[in-house]
Amino acid sequence: MSSNEEQLSEFERRTRAVLAESLTRIDARTRSRLNRARHAALEQAARPRRAWLKLGVVPGGALAAAVLVALLLVHRPAHELLPPGAESGQPLEVLDLVADDEALSLMEDEDHSFYEWAAAQGEAAPENGAEASG
Amino acid sequence: MSAFATLASVYNTPAALRGGELLNDTTAQSRARALNQFLASVELKAYKIAQASLRHEDDALDAVQDAMLQLARAYGDRTAEEWRPLFYRILKNRIRDMQRRRTVRGRIMAWLPLRRDEEDEEAPDPIAQAPSPEPMPVARLEIDEAMGALERALVELPERQRQAFLLRNLEGLDVAQTALAMGCSEGSVKTHYFRAVQALKARLGEFET
Repeated sequence: MSSNEEQLSEFERRTRAVLAESLTRIDARTRSRLNRARHAALEQAARPRRAWLKLGVVPGGALAAAVLVALLLVHRPAHELLPPGAESGQPLEVLDLVADDEALSLMEDEDHSFYEWAAAQGEAAPENGAEASG
Repeated sequence: MSAFATLASVYNTPAALRGGELLNDTTAQSRARALNQFLASVELKAYKIAQASLRHEDDALDAVQDAMLQLARAYGDRTAEEWRPLFYRILKNRIRDMQRRRTVRGRIMAWLPLRRDEEDEEAPDPIAQAPSPEPMPVARLEIDEAMGALERALVELPERQRQAFLLRNLEGLDVAQTALAMGCSEGSVKTHYFRAVQALKARLGEFET
């Protein structure tokens, strides 16, 4: 870093000073939580991992998604999950959303592409519903 | 058991209790101590970087803790020189994962009308998170104003530009280390960094401190 310091612009020097100062302003509570988080991480890393986690048999996200979908289906009748005007079959989109890794990978490089896609889905939904009902 | 699990198990276990493995344990203990020191040296900066992207205190803390855990588990046996870019690469991925999860969670919650208000309440509110105004010296106020302006400007940057800027200027990584941490070429780092500086200059102007 020292070799780079000489090439820094005045703007960069100022922002570095402000950023460094911002670290000193982090409150004691947050520092304490970070300290605890570090010790927890080191202790957890010291514990042997469970075999099924090592093998990746049940990824945490997939398990959470399965539980969520199960709760949705158990506690809410299917017709209540539909937006107004939508036909049955759309709850499967919920399943797709949480189960399909490809849908998530749309955000792989730049987040805005995913948001554009999500917005397009939202705009297209009523039309699809109208087409299906008509 | 992973390599680090072997070495880190002595993080809490006195080497003297382990008899013939004393030499290995001493080495493992020193590595565990070194890792602890490394993580202590980066945790505040990592938190600031995570908070700039996630804009949520608890999420930022979770991201930092997850990155610490993954570094300890997967790369604890690497050389100490490798830890810094590896740690920030893991953190970058954790932040991205949390942003994805937040987006998906938002879409799912849209299907649950009863929970929508509750979710809205949980959304980070930058104004609510701002420090309460208290009488303080003028110099401190000026620094606070500069800090607030910089943080607001950073939030407006695209993710990659923000990463490049913070890794270079907050963590002090050089271009090569930043490229490793961001998982891209050095040329990309230079481009992202240049654009970040230009955007911040345009927004902050002279930026007197």
